Amino acid sequence: MGWRTDDELQQMLRESALHVLGAEGGPAHFRAVRASEGGFDPATWAQMGELGWAGILLPEAAGGSELAFEGALTLAEELGRAIAPEPFVSSAVIAATLLAASQVPAALELARSLASGVCSVTLAWQEQRATIGLPTFTVQLDNGLLRGAKRYVPAWHDQTALLVAARDGADTVVVIVDAAAPGLVATPHRLTDGTIGADIDFQGVAVNKDAVILRGAGADAALDLALARGTVALSAQLEGLASALWHRTLDYMRQRSQFGSNLSDFQALRHRMVDLFSEIELSGASWRRAAKNLAGGATWSPTLHAAKARCSQVAQDMGRWAIQYHGAFGYTDEADVGLYVHTALRWSTWLGNATSHRRKALEAHRRERDLNV
Amino acid sequence: MSEDLNLLPHDEFRSRWRAWLEANYPDEWRVPIIYRLMGDDERRWHRMTYEAGWRAPAWPKEYGGLGLSLEKQLIVHQEMERHKCARVLDSGALLLAPVLMKYGTQEQRDRYLGPILRGEDLWCQGYSEPNAGSDLASLRTSASIEGDEFVINGQKIWTTLAACADRIFVLVRTNKDVKKQAGISFVLADMDTPGLAVRPIMNLAGEDELCEIFFDNVRVPRENLVGELNQGWTVAKALLGDERIANGAPTLSRQAFEVLEQLVDGIALGDDQGQADRVAQLYCDIEDLAALHSQVADAAIRGEIDNAALSLMKVLATELFQRVSDELLRVAGEDAGFHEPVGVVGVELDLRKIYMIARPSTIYAGANEVQRNIVAGMLMGPVGK
Repeated sequence: MGWRTDDELQQMLRESALHVLGAEGGPAHFRAVRASEGGFDPATWAQMGELGWAGILLPEAAGGSELAFEGALTLAEELGRAIAPEPFVSSAVIAATLLAASQVPAALELARSLASGVCSVTLAWQEQRATIGLPTFTVQLDNGLLRGAKRYVPAWHDQTALLVAARDGADTVVVIVDAAAPGLVATPHRLTDGTIGADIDFQGVAVNKDAVILRGAGADAALDLALARGTVALSAQLEGLASALWHRTLDYMRQRSQFGSNLSDFQALRHRMVDLFSEIELSGASWRRAAKNLAGGATWSPTLHAAKARCSQVAQDMGRWAIQYHGAFGYTDEADVGLYVHTALRWSTWLGNATSHRRKALEAHRRERDLNV
Repeated sequence: MSEDLNLLPHDEFRSRWRAWLEANYPDEWRVPIIYRLMGDDERRWHRMTYEAGWRAPAWPKEYGGLGLSLEKQLIVHQEMERHKCARVLDSGALLLAPVLMKYGTQEQRDRYLGPILRGEDLWCQGYSEPNAGSDLASLRTSASIEGDEFVINGQKIWTTLAACADRIFVLVRTNKDVKKQAGISFVLADMDTPGLAVRPIMNLAGEDELCEIFFDNVRVPRENLVGELNQGWTVAKALLGDERIANGAPTLSRQAFEVLEQLVDGIALGDDQGQADRVAQLYCDIEDLAALHSQVADAAIRGEIDNAALSLMKVLATELFQRVSDELLRVAGEDAGFHEPVGVVGVELDLRKIYMIARPSTIYAGANEVQRNIVAGMLMGPVGK
């Protein structure tokens, strides 16, 4: 582990994750989910409910385990290492943060279903490409009817429940919407991590008053925290993925011999592997610092942007060199390398890619600097 | 200082050190990156910190140091960075003293440690040779034993600040017939010993800090041997806790980045997105290295030393410093071509010098290619196994 150290809770979670994912996660599971129509495996999600993962951030009253966010990050790391296509970040982190912030009975009821793994929950918030942080929503709730369009809604499948962030007059609201309601038109797309995302049009979808789970400043704060948490958790998944791919690539380099030597003996390749390892070390340190700052109350700090930028970049860089060092074999679908590379494409671009986050980091830094002058 | 600084809460310790620096640190030294304390300035710095009770934070108290915890040692470094203090080499306290503490005789400690603390003796490190740089163990400067003396012959090179040093600790070959690491000894010599000559070398930054040293039948007493005969390779590896950790900090990168920000603001390059992307990359690189550095330091404070990470941080920190200095020139346009400090956007800057000062950092203290070999060995195992 080197400088990375787990506390007792994290150790317990990691051991459990290694045990479960080692036996049932990884490339074979990824291929199965990718081949499924919904891009979702209800049995695995139900198991994650039983293990307490789906409800890790939910209150005990909802059947959750109400653990600190650090625990969720340990799971995220391990899920990343296993390229798990489960909607952990979108559901157990982002949606769960919203449900936990609500005092409304409908939210508690949905939280119970999520914690038990009966369903996953997805949040439709984004309306434009490359949005980072909380935008001003144009989707409107007007007299109980929802109108407008959301894009890039993750984890869209038959067992998903839907939360929508919208505007009601001057207020931000978060509402529960029946995914099968009349007037809701979803256009699904297969994503590179094997799951399905959707663009959704709301053409006057009826929303019951009881289904408004957050409103006003409370909704803004909860959405802000949910997206910031999701961004850090996704960063942790990306580090886990990159680290797993580094080790997988080294294993291959050790057994592949050319010119009378194992690939792992060639100095040019060794130096590249060291540099990639350095990047992984930086990404691990970066998201951990972002998580610490987030726990201290700073949502969109420069460090959070730096973390998603670094982790997105390292996963793509590692993917590039993993293919290269596997040679032509790395270019086949049969080799598992491609599964990691495809997953990295999705995770590194979702919630903001490396370039966008670097720009945001610099902007945030300059704002802080100008405030201090 | 009679009270135990280790008992102070970290915040109070930090604010006391900060207040002392603000009250006592000479303004003319506050030229980060560019300025390095040497000769009489360096003596003065050691003397003033000694008298005020701030000298030798990492040294155990029994030797006259502060015996600070690693955490407080790092605070000392952080505040000096914050105050824009000049670089200082302090080879005696940082490089030699740990060796004497671990391997020296009581007589050697009594004789040498006090003058180091008080700034009376400046030391230099005689390791590299014309044919033994990254491959240091190939060194050929020899010491033969004649009666009670070593007779040293040969040549050292790249010895930093030898010209203003009072004494030198030097690695010499005392056995040619064994594996190269096994025939080296660690010996002390006075710089004014007959037969010892120093020739400064002008470097690309325009400084003559680096020197050649010629040994022509230089006779030093046998009692100047540190540790056992032929054990010099092991002896030379002793270092105190904070040094390797401090080497991985993005201090110079951060200071150069501040200059870069002054330039970017002054030239009003805000609308240049390509330039902004490069600055954003550097900013994230610095902040992420700072994050790694502080977490590796935290682990070290808990007693978990991550050797691979420490070596990697040296590579990251030095290459990053170079990349920031490269960007400075890129932004400066024609102003980068002046061989003297120039007023750029109202600030007096010596861009060429910053650029040049950044060059050797990837070479000294273990060339980065060698560091990569070492880390590759740790991570991937030895070649051919």
